[in-house]
Amino acid sequence: MAAKAIIKKKGKRGPVKGSSTNGAGNTASKWVGQPIRRKEENRLVSGKGIFVDDEKMPGMLHIRFVRSSYAHAKITRVDVSKAEKSPGVVCTLTGSEIKRQVQPFIEIGPGGAQKIADYPMAVDKVVFQGEPVAAVVAETRLAAEDAAELIEVDYEPLPPVVTAEDALKDESLLHPAMGTNRNWHGVFEYGDVEKTLKQAAHVVHIGRLHFHRFSSTPLECNVILANWDPRSGDIEYHCNNTFPSFASQFLAPALGVRIDQIHMKSYDIGGGFGIKITSYPYMAVCALASRKAGGRAVKWVETRIEHMQASAHGNERTFLDTRVALDKNGIILAIDSKHVDDCGAFPRYEPLGCVIWAQVLPATYRVKNIRIDMHQVVTNKCPVGPNRGYSRMQHLWFIERVIDICGQTLGIPADEMRVRNYIRKNEMPYKTPNGCVYDSGDYASMLAMAKTLVGWDDWKKKQTAARKEGRWIGLGIGSTLDSGTNNFGQARIINPDAPFSGQSKVGIVKLDIYGEVVVSMGSVPQGQGHETSASQVVADALNITPDLVNVRPGFDTAHNAYTGHTGTYASQFAVTGLTAIHGAAMKLRKELSRLAAWKLQAKEKDLEFGVGAQGPEVRVKGTQKAINYWALANLVNVNNAGMPEELWDITLNCRHVFHANFQIPDVKRKYGNLTLTYAAQVHAAVVEVDRETFQPKILAYACVDDCGKAVNPRIVEGQVHGAAAHGIGAALLENCAYDSDGNLLAATFSDYTPITAVNIPDLLCGHMETLSPFTLNGAKGMGEGGAAPIHTICAALQDALYPSGVIIDDSHNTGDSLFRAMQKAESGGYTGMVRVEHRRASRRRF
Amino acid sequence: MYAAPFSYFRAASLQEAVKLLQELGEDARVIAGGQSLIPLMKMRMARPAALIDINFIPGLGDIHNSKGELRFGALVRHADLEHSAAGVTVPILHDCAAGIADVQVRNQGTIGGSLAEADPSGDWGTALLALDTSVVCLGPEGERTVPLEEFIKDAYTTALTHEEIVTEVRVKAPPKGSGGAHLAFKRSAPVYPTASASVQLTLADHNTCKDARIVLGCVGLTAIRAKEAEAGLRGKPLDEKNIRTAVDAARAAADPQSDMRGSADYKRVLVGALVKRAIGIAARRARGESVDAGHEYAGR
Amino acid sequence: MNMPDAKKILVRVRVNGVAREAEVEPRTLLVEFLREHLNLTGTHIGCDTTYCGACTVILNGRTVKSCTLFAPMADGGEITTVEGLAKEGKLHPVQEAFAECHGLQCGYCTPGLLLSTMQLLKKYPKPTEAQIRKGIAGNTCRCTGYQNVFKSIRMAAAEMEKR
Repeated sequence: MAAKAIIKKKGKRGPVKGSSTNGAGNTASKWVGQPIRRKEENRLVSGKGIFVDDEKMPGMLHIRFVRSSYAHAKITRVDVSKAEKSPGVVCTLTGSEIKRQVQPFIEIGPGGAQKIADYPMAVDKVVFQGEPVAAVVAETRLAAEDAAELIEVDYEPLPPVVTAEDALKDESLLHPAMGTNRNWHGVFEYGDVEKTLKQAAHVVHIGRLHFHRFSSTPLECNVILANWDPRSGDIEYHCNNTFPSFASQFLAPALGVRIDQIHMKSYDIGGGFGIKITSYPYMAVCALASRKAGGRAVKWVETRIEHMQASAHGNERTFLDTRVALDKNGIILAIDSKHVDDCGAFPRYEPLGCVIWAQVLPATYRVKNIRIDMHQVVTNKCPVGPNRGYSRMQHLWFIERVIDICGQTLGIPADEMRVRNYIRKNEMPYKTPNGCVYDSGDYASMLAMAKTLVGWDDWKKKQTAARKEGRWIGLGIGSTLDSGTNNFGQARIINPDAPFSGQSKVGIVKLDIYGEVVVSMGSVPQGQGHETSASQVVADALNITPDLVNVRPGFDTAHNAYTGHTGTYASQFAVTGLTAIHGAAMKLRKELSRLAAWKLQAKEKDLEFGVGAQGPEVRVKGTQKAINYWALANLVNVNNAGMPEELWDITLNCRHVFHANFQIPDVKRKYGNLTLTYAAQVHAAVVEVDRETFQPKILAYACVDDCGKAVNPRIVEGQVHGAAAHGIGAALLENCAYDSDGNLLAATFSDYTPITAVNIPDLLCGHMETLSPFTLNGAKGMGEGGAAPIHTICAALQDALYPSGVIIDDSHNTGDSLFRAMQKAESGGYTGMVRVEHRRASRRRF
Repeated sequence: MYAAPFSYFRAASLQEAVKLLQELGEDARVIAGGQSLIPLMKMRMARPAALIDINFIPGLGDIHNSKGELRFGALVRHADLEHSAAGVTVPILHDCAAGIADVQVRNQGTIGGSLAEADPSGDWGTALLALDTSVVCLGPEGERTVPLEEFIKDAYTTALTHEEIVTEVRVKAPPKGSGGAHLAFKRSAPVYPTASASVQLTLADHNTCKDARIVLGCVGLTAIRAKEAEAGLRGKPLDEKNIRTAVDAARAAADPQSDMRGSADYKRVLVGALVKRAIGIAARRARGESVDAGHEYAGR
Repeated sequence: MNMPDAKKILVRVRVNGVAREAEVEPRTLLVEFLREHLNLTGTHIGCDTTYCGACTVILNGRTVKSCTLFAPMADGGEITTVEGLAKEGKLHPVQEAFAECHGLQCGYCTPGLLLSTMQLLKKYPKPTEAQIRKGIAGNTCRCTGYQNVFKSIRMAAAEMEKR
C-alpha cells in the first residue's frame, strides 16, 4: 500500500502576468487542486481511444522499410527491381532517389556540424544499424513486408565507432565532411575552480563514470499516416509526433513546402516520454511515398524492433577526470570534470543536450565553482532523442555519484552529506552560478520525509546487524530536479546563430454556437490528462464545473493553437499550457461579461458567473436577472442584429498566447535563466544484493515529490509513479547495449525487458508543495522525474558494496554487473578509481 | 511483423496430422499452442510452407493418471497443469508450469509443443529431465515411446522424424519420500530464464539422500543433467558440505553462453545458487512440507 | 520447396456475443483480424514479440496474446475484447475501477490489462498481492508504474464481491 504524506508550504508569491482577474469578479480556486477523475478515462477503458493506427484513409497504402544490418558501411548497390514486381507493390523508394527530392534536415549545431548531411534515408553510406536504406509501398502490410525481403542491398563494411572514447580518437569518421566525430565542444566554467581545488581541505579524484543508454519505449511505437495531396500540395499527417512545431520546422524546408501546408493531427497517443519528438525523418519519407504513389495516403506502423534500433535512444554520457574540492566538513566547494555525451549517428535534436543539463548545473547543491568541459560525439549507434529527464538526469546522476563517493571517502553519511550541501529553503529563489533561478524548494524537508517513509533509521540498525551476518544491504538517497518550461534561448549557447529563444504556448477557449464551452489546447498529450487539468482551470475561470468544459483531445494544426514552441516536452504543461488556457478563459469571461452587461442592462461589476437552472450563466448579483451561455452565444453568432457597435469586437473565440519572461542568455559566459520552474524529487531506497545470485532486490522504496501546486493531485501522483518505474527499470533492467560491431543487443522487448509488475516495488509516496513564485497558481511543471531512482539505486548499491571495495561507476546495474564488480574489487580493479588528497587545513573558508 | 505465406491445414485427428506431414513434406510443421513457433515465424526465422493445426483435435487436452504415471495429451496447456491435481502431487511440475512466461502464454502454449520445439531455454526440457519422462511419438509406422534424455538431441533438434508428431508426454510419479523443485531467475515474466535449476530428491530418512536428479537449464544447448552433482548427494546426508560439493559440481557442469541475459561466468554462478535453493526446497518437500516456491525476478 | 498455397480462408468467430466472419490469409494474426478485418481497434499491438500483452483478448474463456495466434486457430471461438466489457452503456466494474483509481494514463495498454484482470478475478476473486502481480506479469505498462493498476484490481475485486 502506498503511504501518503502531504505537507503544504507557503511559498513566496509574486505578481504573475495574466493571473489577475478582470472587472467581472474574482475567480476562485475551486477545481484546481482537486484530484478529480480524468475526463480521458472512460473512452480509454472502453476501447474508444483513437490512436493513429486506428485511423484509415480511403485508398490507403502501407510502407515498409529495408534497414541496414551494419552499423557502419558503404552502400555499394541497391536493387529494387524484384520488389517492384512483387504482387501488390505500388512503388519503392531509395535513399539516392530521395536525395534528389529533398534538402537535408537542418542541423542545430554550429561549425562542422552544419556539414552533416542528414537525409531521411541513407544515401551512400549507413551510419547505424537499422538505418533505413530503402522502402516499399504496397496495397497491404503483408505485401509490403513480403516485397521488402526482395530488395537487395550490398554493403562494404567500415570500422564501427561504438564508444564515446573511440569516437574522440577520430580514427573512423561517421561524417567525413565534418572532419571529426566531435560535433560540439564547450567549456562551462563558473567561479574559480583551479584556485578552489588548490586551497581545499580535501580533493577527491574520481575515475570514469558512465551513464548508460536507455529509452522511453512508449507502448505505442511511432505511427504516421501521411497524405500529400497532389491537388493542393498540402501534406496531411495523422501521427503521434509529440513536438509538431519542431517537426514541421524541420520538414517544411526539407520537403520544400510552405509550413502552412503541413497539417498535423493527433488524438490519443500511446505514451511518448520524449522519444517521439524525433520521428520527423520518417514523416518526410511517408510524405514522399504518398507523392510517388500518386497522392494516395501512406501509413507507417513502426515495429518494435524498428523502434528499438532506429527511432531514438536517450543520451549516453561518460564522465572523465573528475576532481572535487571539499572543505573539512564535507562541503563541496568545486567540481571539475570532462563530460562526453554520445548522441549516436545523427545529432537531430542535438546538440541541445549539451546545454540542457546546465539548467541543473549545481543540482540541488550550493556548490559555486564548477567547470564542465562538455563534449559531444557521434557514434555508429541509433541517434538519440529527448527521453524523460532529458540531458539533466545524466548530469544529476553524475552529481549524486560525486556526493556519494565523496561522502563514502570522507566517512560522512549520505543523508548528512546532502543536508550539509543542499541549497536551503530560505535561499529560494536561488540563483545558480550560471544564472538559472531555482524558484522554490525545500530539499532538506523532502529528504526528512523520504527517510521517514522508507524507515531510514530502522533500516540503518537492521543494516548493521545484517552486515554482521555477511549480508549486503545498502541505503541510498537520490535528490533530483525536474526543470520545466525551458528557455529556447539556451540554444544560442550551442549555436549563437540559432534563431530561437523564449517559450510560448497557445490556449483557445470559445463558446460555440449553442453555448458549449470548447477548449483547444496547444499541447500534445500522451497520457498526462491535459483534458482534465484544462477543464479544471477553465471551470474555475468561469465558475462552472469541469464536466461543462469540452476539451478537444489531442493536437490539430486546424485548431490554430500553436506557436513555434508547441509540443509536449520539458515538463511544462501545468505552467505554459494551463496559463495559456487560463488566459484565454479570462478573455472569454471578459467578453461574456461585456455582452451580459449590455443585455441585462447592468454594470459589469455587478455581474457574477455561475451555473443556474438553464446551465452556465452570467447573472446580476442579488437578482433573478441572468443570461445563460446559449443565449450569449446566440447573440453573437446567429442573432446579432441590433448589437451595439462597441461590442462587435467580441468573437467568443478567445486565443491567448503564454509567454515566459525569459531573456536571451549571455552566450559568451554561458549565463542566463534557462528554465522557469524546478520541481524536485527526493527518493530513498533500501536495496539488498543477494550474496549468492548478486541480484539487487529493492526492500523498501520511497518517493517524495514537490511540484508546487498540484493542479490535479491524482494525475501528479500517477506521473510520480510512472517516472519512478521508468527510472527503476532503467537502473536494473533496461539497457540499449551494443556489441563491439555496433549491433544493438536489445532489439526486442524480450531483450530490453521493460519493467513489469513482478519487478516494481511498492512505492511509498509523499508529497510536498512549495509554491513557485513565478507561475499562475504556484504550479511547477513535472512528470519527467529527473531519474531519481537511478541515482537512488546506485547510491544504495554503493552503500551496500562499498565495504567490499566496489565503486558503482555505471548507471545500469544487474546481478551480472554486480558479480563482475565484486570480482573486479577482489582483484584490486578499483584501485586508483577514487583518490583523495587531504590537506592539513583549508586556508580559506568559502 | 508478419509471417511469410503458408498454407493452412486443420487436422481432424492425430493420424490425419501424420498423413498431412507425409503428404506435405519437410516444409510442413505442426502447430499446437504456437507460442514458440509463431514468434519465430513473425521474425521470418522460421518459414514453413504449411502449418498443420492440431488444436481442433478433440480429447488431447486431458491429464490422465494411469498407474503412477501422469499422461499429458498433446494439447495440455501449461495453465492446465498449473491448476491441476498433478501439480499438487508433483510440485516440481507446478513450479515449472506456473513459471513459464505469463498467464496468456501459459493459457495457450503446450507441454508437448515446448518439448518438440527443444528451445535451449525452454522450461519443460529442464524440469521433466529431473523426473522419469518419456515422449510418445506417432508416425506413419505407428507409435513409439522415447525417453526424454534421448528425445532432445540438441538445440531445436529432437528425435522426431519430420513425419512424426508428439501425442503424449508421460511422467512417472516420483515415489513417496521424494520431493522436487524447479527454480529460475528471470529478468521479467514473459522472457526465458537467465538460468534455471530442477532438483528432484528422494530421501531414505529425514536427511539422507537416497537418490537425486539435478538438471540445469539455459546454460547449454540443451538442459544438462549434472550427474556429478547428483553423485555428490546420492547416499549421503544433506548437510552443508555435501550440498556445497553438489553445487560446485553443478556449476562445473554448466556450459553457458554470454548474451543479453547475462555473461557466461555469471550464469554459472547463478545456476549454482539456484541449484542450492532448489535442493533446499526439494528436501523440505521430500519431508512432506508444503513449500511455495516461485521464480525470482529482477528487482524484487 | 512446395509453393505455399496461401489462399484465403474463412474465419468465423463470435466476438463480444456477435457472429463475425472474414476471409483472410492464414498468416493473418488474430490481432490483425480483429483490428483490420472486424474494425475492433480497441485491441492494440505494442511489441510484436509476445512480451507486452497490449493485444490480450479472451478466447474461449482464457486470455491469449492475439499477436501470437494465427486467426484460423481461433475459428469457431468465442472472443471477448475490450469493446465487449461494458453492458448497455454501463462500464464493467473492472473498467470502472481502473477509471476511478487512475489505473491508466495513455490508455494504450489498458484494454489488455482489463482483460487480464478479468481472467485473474475469475480465477482468484480475492487475489493476493502475489497473485495480482503474477496475473498481470504479461502486460507491460509504461505510464503508471503499476501502482494504480494494483489499486484498481483490488477495487475491482471488492466491487465484484459485493454483487
